[in-house]
Amino acid sequence: MNLSATDLSLTVDGVDHLKNVTATFPPGRLHTVIGRTMAGKTTLLRALAGLQKVDSGSLTLAGSDFLKTPVWRRDTAMVYQQFINYPHLNVFDNVAFPLKRAGLSRHEIQRRVRQSLASVGLADFEKRKPSQLSGGQQQRVAMARALARGTGILLLDEPLANLDYKLREQLRDEFKALFSDRGDTIVIYTTTEPAEAMMLGDVVLVMHEGRIIQTGTPQEVFERPATTTVASIINDPPMNIFGGRTEGGQVTVAGFQATHVSAHLTDLPDGAYQFGLRATDVSLASSGVEAEVTFVEISGSETFVHVVVGETPFVVQIEGIHDVALGDLVKLQLRPDRLFAFDEQGTLVRTPSYDLASVERR
Amino acid sequence: MRSRLYPVFKYTVIALWACFVAGPFFWAMTTSFKNANAVQGGPTYIPWAQYEPTLTGWRNIFGGAGGIDVIDPFINSAIITIAASAISLALGSLAAYALSRYRFKLGFIKNSDIVFFFVSQRIMPPVVLVIPFFYLLQWGGLLDSIPGLVIVTVALLLPIAVWVMVDFFNGIPREIDEMAMLDGCPPFQTFVRAILPNSLPGLTVAAMFCAVFGWNDFFFAFRLTFTEVQTLPQAVVALNSSIPPWWTLSAAALFGVAPLVLLALWVERLLSKGNLSGAVR
Amino acid sequence: MAQLDIVDVGHAYAPGAEEEQWALKPLKLTFESGRTYALVGPSGCGKTTLLNILSGLVRPSRGQVLFDGVDVTALPTKARNIAQVFQFPVIYRSMTVYENLAFPLQCRRWDKARIDAKVQQVAEALDLHDRLRQPARGLTADDKQLISLGRGLVRDDVAAVLMDEPLTVIDPQLKHSLRRRIREITEQFRPTVIYVTHDQYEAMSFAQELLVMKDGRAVQQGTPEQLFEAPSSTYVGYFIGSPAMNFLTVDRGDGPFELGGRTLSAAWDIPHSTTDVQVGVRPEYVRVVTDPGLNTFPGRLRGVSDHGAQRVLDVEVAGQLVRAKTPREEGVPVGEEVLVHLPRAKVLPYAGGQLVLRS
Repeated sequence: MNLSATDLSLTVDGVDHLKNVTATFPPGRLHTVIGRTMAGKTTLLRALAGLQKVDSGSLTLAGSDFLKTPVWRRDTAMVYQQFINYPHLNVFDNVAFPLKRAGLSRHEIQRRVRQSLASVGLADFEKRKPSQLSGGQQQRVAMARALARGTGILLLDEPLANLDYKLREQLRDEFKALFSDRGDTIVIYTTTEPAEAMMLGDVVLVMHEGRIIQTGTPQEVFERPATTTVASIINDPPMNIFGGRTEGGQVTVAGFQATHVSAHLTDLPDGAYQFGLRATDVSLASSGVEAEVTFVEISGSETFVHVVVGETPFVVQIEGIHDVALGDLVKLQLRPDRLFAFDEQGTLVRTPSYDLASVERR
Repeated sequence: MRSRLYPVFKYTVIALWACFVAGPFFWAMTTSFKNANAVQGGPTYIPWAQYEPTLTGWRNIFGGAGGIDVIDPFINSAIITIAASAISLALGSLAAYALSRYRFKLGFIKNSDIVFFFVSQRIMPPVVLVIPFFYLLQWGGLLDSIPGLVIVTVALLLPIAVWVMVDFFNGIPREIDEMAMLDGCPPFQTFVRAILPNSLPGLTVAAMFCAVFGWNDFFFAFRLTFTEVQTLPQAVVALNSSIPPWWTLSAAALFGVAPLVLLALWVERLLSKGNLSGAVR
Repeated sequence: MAQLDIVDVGHAYAPGAEEEQWALKPLKLTFESGRTYALVGPSGCGKTTLLNILSGLVRPSRGQVLFDGVDVTALPTKARNIAQVFQFPVIYRSMTVYENLAFPLQCRRWDKARIDAKVQQVAEALDLHDRLRQPARGLTADDKQLISLGRGLVRDDVAAVLMDEPLTVIDPQLKHSLRRRIREITEQFRPTVIYVTHDQYEAMSFAQELLVMKDGRAVQQGTPEQLFEAPSSTYVGYFIGSPAMNFLTVDRGDGPFELGGRTLSAAWDIPHSTTDVQVGVRPEYVRVVTDPGLNTFPGRLRGVSDHGAQRVLDVEVAGQLVRAKTPREEGVPVGEEVLVHLPRAKVLPYAGGQLVLRS
């Protein structure tokens, strides 16, 4: 029962929304599609649902042509970023709507609606209209409706994007539990947030400018980003990418020279490279390269300090929350053993060794 | 800063405007209770004090001697208005839904052009329209009949219904249609089950407009009916003779306007109860 | 820019209500000139009421509002000289960007050259200087919101800028960049800013100081760092930080505190008579270790969540959930049996939900 897309392409006004998208979505797995805004994630979901026609390519479900199946027979449920529910129906009827269309018995409808509402924590809200609910509750109703039907395909388009931070955190945990026993459902979930993609996904697909540029387990994608683009998309804050050279096993980057580089870079042929370093692998220290603080932001429990070294911007991630003033001069320490090396075209050539070995290290 | 006279000025203007609007109603109301003597005695407004009220005018419009019977024309008007409004709303919302949700293209003609085409029919002077209507009805054997007038009235009301409803449907998020289709509804069911129930405010407004325009039409009824069918506006105008019986005319006018006033009050109540607001967003 | 003082201000929407029911319980606050503040809390916490009292939209049932020492409690909004940014961008659709920014100054009858200089300066900061001649209605929602802010900033004499959830209608993906822009602009112009939001993430990255509100009360005021390191209540510990602070119920006989029968050593002491004691510790400070030692407790690993550079480990210790946020390089422990270390200096005592002592 695989859902397979082959070479799906769609161009609107000269812009590629989908470009040769080829992917297989087996049942029983949760696929997260991560990419920036306008990367084509929503278009992909809409094409899979049949809401968006594509220019070319094929789509099959269990080997049969899925493109010819009209939307209402695709056995697909979708949860939108905006909290979309039927405004004229109360919560119970909203969840019951697809079940009635499917012609289930009254008794069965009632059973499934109740069960589904309970699973999203809305058992006591049956009689409310969507407009009387908070954003988080509205999205739970949409979730309950999508789950109640038990469709073969479940599409979620950035379902948490419009919710505030604490609620996102909470629903993410709930989703993990809700999705864990979906049996044979094909679940595809889009997001712009790396942490969400990684913690929810069995498989992560990275999208950029209409293409799928890498597919793999969260660990593979995070630890072996195929290109600098993937490296920047899958890290939050985006991985620091900067130019540099190697010569005789020595690495030189802007204003910074790594005197003893770890083994993974010593055998790199001499030449120009792009290097990548995660924000967690740069630190503020009492000595090091001088940098000026340009911006500070706080995310959850981390502080991201944006600095410039000469012309090169870096983001430094510090655990915990710290007050750092803009314009301050600070000193940076870069960890050479954590450098990712990419060739000048941006293709990965070396990965820090610790990453690959870190699994089950203890 | 605003002077202390400002509120005085404000309320004076409002009061003047209120008189301007309500004046004719008041005039018709008093006149309808007068008779020939009271009318000719110069302008008078206060019953009993200035003139002796009578029911002559009101008797005349319900078949009294020298008057007319408005009941039949009233029923004709009601049938035509209700039937034409209902048909216009049904056809109009279907057309509007298609125009709102699907892209049509024929050469340079696009959706907005089609909407304009609908509305443009109301731009043409009725005199121009009535001639083709006359020949069409004659050809169909529908001159001087209720079905004939219903068809013509639908042609007049449909643009209004389409125009109001296109605008309304455009305001309903497309995701609701999409969701209904994903939930198993083919397009027509999507319209009936997901979109129409959320369109009550738009339908009410469109129905209001249709009812008012349909009810008040005089010109087409005047030109397309002769002896068999008479609508209320026709009946009222028919009262006009060389010496207008103002009291009867007033009574007939008030009687004719009453249903619209009741309709307006009912819609206003719906609005104030919030039954029509906020179905979407 | 002015200093704003709230002296004993409280508000009840229903007259004669018990103080427990007031939308805003009487409180005293100072908003220093040139600083950015965020009022943050769930809906119904009183933050909007407080903002409306500052703007003059609501006259408080009690207390005084002072702008630079002048009592403005009875003055209407327009007499208070404040700039406001609302949830929905307020712009004049028929005007160009330039005219929108110049409008408040024209109303004040500034001369043309002065208006021009000021508008250019503000437009530069908003990054709208190359679009000044465009009609404002064609702009995106986030640019419109910048104009709303800019119309406040063109006035030199404005006492404070009040923002009420200004990112509500902005695309989630643009929120981040707009918040950054607003912050950079306020760094440059240094107005007194009071920013209302229900999103702690927004509040933390925007404001120099936060006022966490709940049920009409100011629960804690402080810098983001202070709220993170020493939340004054379990509520703040939950609300600030991601994942939320761990709170563990501990036992105490005659001796020291115990967790699952093992001694919990702390850098503080509280009277033996204190009841309902919980200890709080941030997931960032909890470590999974291999060797037993001070404040290590045996637990069972219940779940691992991969967030990228960090992992969140769910560990059950003495029947309670402890979350540990660990750097990726530390890897995932093998097997279910683990040891959890709670650093002595980072464990804080709470009684009845309130921080009872600072370490």
